[in-house]
Amino acid sequence: MSGRSPRYSAWSLLRGRFSGPGFWRPLWSGRQLQKAYDVVVVGAGGHGLATAYHLARDHGIQRIAVLEKRLVGYGNVGRNTTIVRSNYLLPENHYFYEDALRRWETLSRDLNYNVMYSPRGVLDLALSDGEMVSLARRGNAMRLAGIDAELMDRAGVMKFARELVPAGTRRFDIVGGLLQQRSGTVRHDAVAWGYARAASALGVDIIEDCEVTGLVTTGGVATGVETSQGSVAAGRVVFAVAGHTGAIGTMLGVPLPVETHLLQAMVTEPIKPLINSVLIYVHPHGEVYTLQSDRGGVVMGGFLDGFPSYTREGRWSRLEDVVQSAVALLPQIAGLRILRHWAGTNDMTMDGSFIIDRIRYDNVFLNGGWCYGGFKSIPASGAACAQFVATGTAPDLIRAHTLSRFASGHLLDERGGGPFPVRL
Amino acid sequence: MILRRGHRVTTQSVSFQFDGREYTAQAGDTVASALLAHGVRLFGRSVKYRRPRGVFAAGPEEPNALLTVGTQPCVIPNVSAPQLAVTPQLITRSQNRWPSLRVDLHAVLQAGGGFFGAGFYYKTFMWPSWRTYETMIRHLAGLGEAPGAADIAPPHVEHLSCDVLVGGAGAAGLAAALAAARAGARVVVCEREPQAGGELDFETATIDEQSATEWVRASLAELARAGARVLYHTAIVGGSDGLVIAHAEPGGIAKNNTVYRIRPQKFVMAMGAVERGIAFANNDRPGVMLLGAAERYLARYGVAVGKVLVLFGNHDRLYASAMRLHAAGMRVRAIVDTRCDVSAAIFGLRATLTGMGVECMSGHAVAEVHGVYGIRRTRIMPLQATGTERFIECDALLVSGGWTPMLQAALHDGGQREFAAKVSEFVASVQPEWRTAVGACAGTFELGAILTESFRAAAQFAHSIGAMGVVGRAPVGRGDTAPQLQAFWRSPCTRAHEKTQFVDLQNDVTVADLRLALSEGFVDIEHIKRYTTLGIGTEQGRTGGLLGAAIVAELKGEALSRVGVSRTRPPYQPMTLGSLAGLNQGDALRVTRRTPLHAWNQAHGAVFEPAEYWLRTRYYRANGTDAFTAGIQEATRVRTHGGILDGSTLGKIEVAGADAAAFLDRLYLTKASTMKVGRSKYMVNLREDGMVLDDGIVLRLAPNRFLATTGSGHAEHMLSHFEHYRALEWSHRQVALTNLTEAWAVIVVAGPKSRATLMNVLGEPWHARLSGLTHMEFSESCWQEQALRVLRASFSGELAFELHCQHGIAVPLWEALVAAGLPPYGLEALDILRVEKGYLVASEMNGEATPQDLGMDGLVNLGNECVGRALLGRPAFVEPQRPRLVGLRARDGKSVIQGGAQITLTAADTHSLGHVSSSVYSPALAQWIALAFVARDRAATGTVLVARDLLRGTDVDVVVTSPVHVDPSSERMKV
Amino acid sequence: MNAVMMRLTCPFCGARELNEFQFHKTAPEPGANPFASVYERVNRTDISQEYWQHVQGCRAWLYVSRNPSTGEVYQVNLLGTQP
Repeated sequence: MSGRSPRYSAWSLLRGRFSGPGFWRPLWSGRQLQKAYDVVVVGAGGHGLATAYHLARDHGIQRIAVLEKRLVGYGNVGRNTTIVRSNYLLPENHYFYEDALRRWETLSRDLNYNVMYSPRGVLDLALSDGEMVSLARRGNAMRLAGIDAELMDRAGVMKFARELVPAGTRRFDIVGGLLQQRSGTVRHDAVAWGYARAASALGVDIIEDCEVTGLVTTGGVATGVETSQGSVAAGRVVFAVAGHTGAIGTMLGVPLPVETHLLQAMVTEPIKPLINSVLIYVHPHGEVYTLQSDRGGVVMGGFLDGFPSYTREGRWSRLEDVVQSAVALLPQIAGLRILRHWAGTNDMTMDGSFIIDRIRYDNVFLNGGWCYGGFKSIPASGAACAQFVATGTAPDLIRAHTLSRFASGHLLDERGGGPFPVRL
Repeated sequence: MILRRGHRVTTQSVSFQFDGREYTAQAGDTVASALLAHGVRLFGRSVKYRRPRGVFAAGPEEPNALLTVGTQPCVIPNVSAPQLAVTPQLITRSQNRWPSLRVDLHAVLQAGGGFFGAGFYYKTFMWPSWRTYETMIRHLAGLGEAPGAADIAPPHVEHLSCDVLVGGAGAAGLAAALAAARAGARVVVCEREPQAGGELDFETATIDEQSATEWVRASLAELARAGARVLYHTAIVGGSDGLVIAHAEPGGIAKNNTVYRIRPQKFVMAMGAVERGIAFANNDRPGVMLLGAAERYLARYGVAVGKVLVLFGNHDRLYASAMRLHAAGMRVRAIVDTRCDVSAAIFGLRATLTGMGVECMSGHAVAEVHGVYGIRRTRIMPLQATGTERFIECDALLVSGGWTPMLQAALHDGGQREFAAKVSEFVASVQPEWRTAVGACAGTFELGAILTESFRAAAQFAHSIGAMGVVGRAPVGRGDTAPQLQAFWRSPCTRAHEKTQFVDLQNDVTVADLRLALSEGFVDIEHIKRYTTLGIGTEQGRTGGLLGAAIVAELKGEALSRVGVSRTRPPYQPMTLGSLAGLNQGDALRVTRRTPLHAWNQAHGAVFEPAEYWLRTRYYRANGTDAFTAGIQEATRVRTHGGILDGSTLGKIEVAGADAAAFLDRLYLTKASTMKVGRSKYMVNLREDGMVLDDGIVLRLAPNRFLATTGSGHAEHMLSHFEHYRALEWSHRQVALTNLTEAWAVIVVAGPKSRATLMNVLGEPWHARLSGLTHMEFSESCWQEQALRVLRASFSGELAFELHCQHGIAVPLWEALVAAGLPPYGLEALDILRVEKGYLVASEMNGEATPQDLGMDGLVNLGNECVGRALLGRPAFVEPQRPRLVGLRARDGKSVIQGGAQITLTAADTHSLGHVSSSVYSPALAQWIALAFVARDRAATGTVLVARDLLRGTDVDVVVTSPVHVDPSSERMKV
Repeated sequence: MNAVMMRLTCPFCGARELNEFQFHKTAPEPGANPFASVYERVNRTDISQEYWQHVQGCRAWLYVSRNPSTGEVYQVNLLGTQP
């Protein structure tokens, strides 16, 4: 059993520079899969790791395993557009995401791992008066909840984001926007590694290359899981498998209000600073959200590819759509080149909001349905889910995010799009 | 100036600028070749440590020599110098240095090697917060300048289909193209370079008893005669679902690009292999270059990259290269071969070289390079225990550690790769049956075998799709002998020196970084890539990817085949955003839809606003300086006098057939089948989950023919919705659905004077019809011999008529109405009028509201079994806190109510009861009015609430009213 | 796998590129009640039955059976006529 990863700081960097080999240690120590755990978390993405971390840290649970089919952070948390924000319309959502945002603010210190939280501001752009009213509705809802929001007119937008000042006319002119200054970006892979390191330091077993193939039950209670590395007994099981949430439903025989879709994103070559905030451009004719990473590449993503896919390869036409909107927004980037691209699976729910709830058994929990907004919620998801699992009662922040809300009509539909992840 | 000779350069001279100095080049030169010819060594500085760098390669794999082209605001950053063609007045600058390339103050960062190792930023910069450091780091990071503007026209876009697509016009590609063309297939060849030939440009080879150059020329001529298309400057970059995208960037800069959208039946990948280096201490110094790059600069541009050369590598090709370079006048001082045994194939060459004064060393490696701004000498170490270190002076060190097949296109759509131990590389393995890799791409490096293999593979492809022409025998060629490569990835060194053994030159990733990543538990190659940034630069890991994986394998003690390389993704070569956006740029971003009355409106001072893809008139300038003022003016006039509105964007779907009525009954909240012919009805659609989807007037034109109108911009959606249910439930019945939105122009004629004016304009034949037309009734006839339908219906609350006519009479009819005294009004005024009457638009039918939420309880209670009804009974929908539609007025009769305000019980309250969905200044009531959603248990008329607009800092006391603010019993439209 | 991937063969128009079609939703289980039909989805990685429309062609609604992990299309029927 190797030693723990040393505490990180500038001083430790200096010491490391002059120390021999062995100063830096693995972030999460390789451990053996045990026969039994108090809690088994399935999925070592952001949600799974954060849940395990909080179970250990906040609830003192001793024997926790995170079982990962592939490797830590191989899914969305390892490759996304890094946006964090709490500018949601519905109280059931914005209080939750605001909890996440507040945790992002201190996460580097909590984990002793620099996640590079950058509150550079997320600006939603409006192209019509009607859209301004929608933004105002959302901004006012946020302000009622004590969350920062600022409505800007055209001049305000151009002053805030000078890169948007157009050289000529736009096909669709910008008339204003809604800014949340405290939102911004976080370094995604740091989140996975930071949580893995912190959880591991608290004694959580992180087991990679371990696929959960089935749930073992006895008399209406789950007693463990079957894995590719053998059976494991578990007091409680949490599924945090993001794009494979639908497959879990199939495995457990519970039909879910989830459809699995593919989402692409890409980044350009690095350049000196151009975009200093996060620009969100979501309209019927085109969608793009774009920002510039600290390394200098312009990151952009758009809407779903438009049909269920697990291939992690996207259709070319969707790349073109996203880039069309990006170039429409920022014509000066036409000469920049796309270097890297990625695509992943998204578990889209029938109202667009997530699910943290028991699933079929009292001691089995589902943390999923994150659609394309899972990354920003990780710290809050981990804390709330851990509390739910540890105490058996859902905390207020996630009380509305049940599986049963669809049947009862208590939908959490931010966009008013209804049960169709892909619009007709 | 001495004129250089090479495949690509002519005698014509052309000048350009680099870092403020003028240089003369020859036409055909790239900026790299021209500057090298002038003895320029320094081209840039590395991104992290700011180490001085020179040109390393001769293609897109160039990691160092990235230049900024042009002057602000229209600069193009990060242009690869080896690909950038010299054009007259070209202005280029090195990047990432200040104040100059030679003297860069940030070079102090080099001292931080070890502190600034991979991932150092995760371990520090936390206190007080990341933001404190971020601005500085962002300015240090990034390669070239951010452009202020782009002077780049949209690309040409060309669609091609062909039988056989060949990627690459080197030996393998040309052989494949010849076979396919001879078989009679339609062939397209994409070649990234300005000319065909690939390595045949310099390889000492004969093919079919001709020199390589002659063979290339003859092959191209034959291909041209056969009608094959060869696209130069064109790289295959991606695609999906059978579409292959190729991108042409002539001159290596985004000015005149073309995007080819190719649909091949078969695809032969012959993109070759890219050379890689070997890691040794200070292997990033200017003057250290890929061996093949030196050969290319010589053969293509006549450039000698140095005077005294040392060659370093692990295969037989070193010797043939040495012969060529020596023959061109460069002095090859030594060949450092890491292999201990000398293969028989090169005995002769070696002897000749030794005789020429070239020192041929086996079992040795370059340990280190000295010379910060340009290599001065190398330190050479023996790889066996015996032997001593040597220093050899030189001004160029040419490295070749082997070639990595360009597999990007081979890994898409389920293509696989496998490790070929013989060549120490990953080569293409299982491919979809429409794709195959040949030549170096497939791990074949010897010319004879390349020609045979490629020719046969392409012939087979052509035959398999029915091109059965006789292809004859494959070209027979002899070139450089097979490499007999023995894997060698890095020279042994001390731990301290590992910090200067560069693996990824662009991102300053060293062997020390790889070791650090492993020690921190990042053992998977993807993790290592993300943690160290290996391979994420502009050359997409071409030179560093495999090298890094192999060194990781050595450090781990694991086989390279197990370690693998990170996943490759499109674009296979970096592609500009402008090219990806294609033709949909500027005004052409999306189609602009205009109504038949657009030109008239434009000529008469209309101010337009986009409504989906349509342009609709918002207001007319003559009526006010802004929308607010003009809207009030126009709305007032409609109520007092009258006006006309262009409603052509109204969606119209014809539903016809024996089962049309029953079909509509199924799709709408209330029945259509009870309507009489000649009458219309306001009807509502529900979405499957019970929410209101759309509303509109449905007309019964005939017993089996209806016209369903939808919201503007909704027609396509509603049509698909209808078609879906027809297929799902009605496939055996007779229902025909036709989108007639563009077929009929719509003119709304509204106001007290509407009927009289209409009678005046339409003339005698219409008088009786119009005077007898009751509310919701319509009449069909003609005007000026063209079909006209007049529906009496109102969205303004005034007496009003909707005229449906075909384009031919739209403008004359409109003009006649204007001339007869009814001025036009726009959407701004329409919004005022409809809010005054409590009519709904998308702001209210926002996908979150059930019909009961919108006050349609009566309609629901009629009990028609329609789509969406089954889910209306869910408990949440009847809860007391669920918002429903109300009207609002300011309690003081004058404050402004803002759209988007949240509604609470008191001004101190933070619990939302609902929100204001639409608000207008009502000229009829001389105050602001609104439509809003308020919790049912607070929605009684007369309740006083607060409309809180915290964004604008106002709290307004409001009173709940009926949504119908004006003329509640609708007397005005029933006159 | 077919010669070129992910083309849908419209019963009226023949094999057409994917971009001509629009996906709507995965098909509900046969006999599903209204709630299940609207809200529940089948999530299998090996086969997916889906509703698509040929919006840029004949506008036929199609029942498509495909493999969402490989993109292979197994069968395309007119919606309402699927077996």
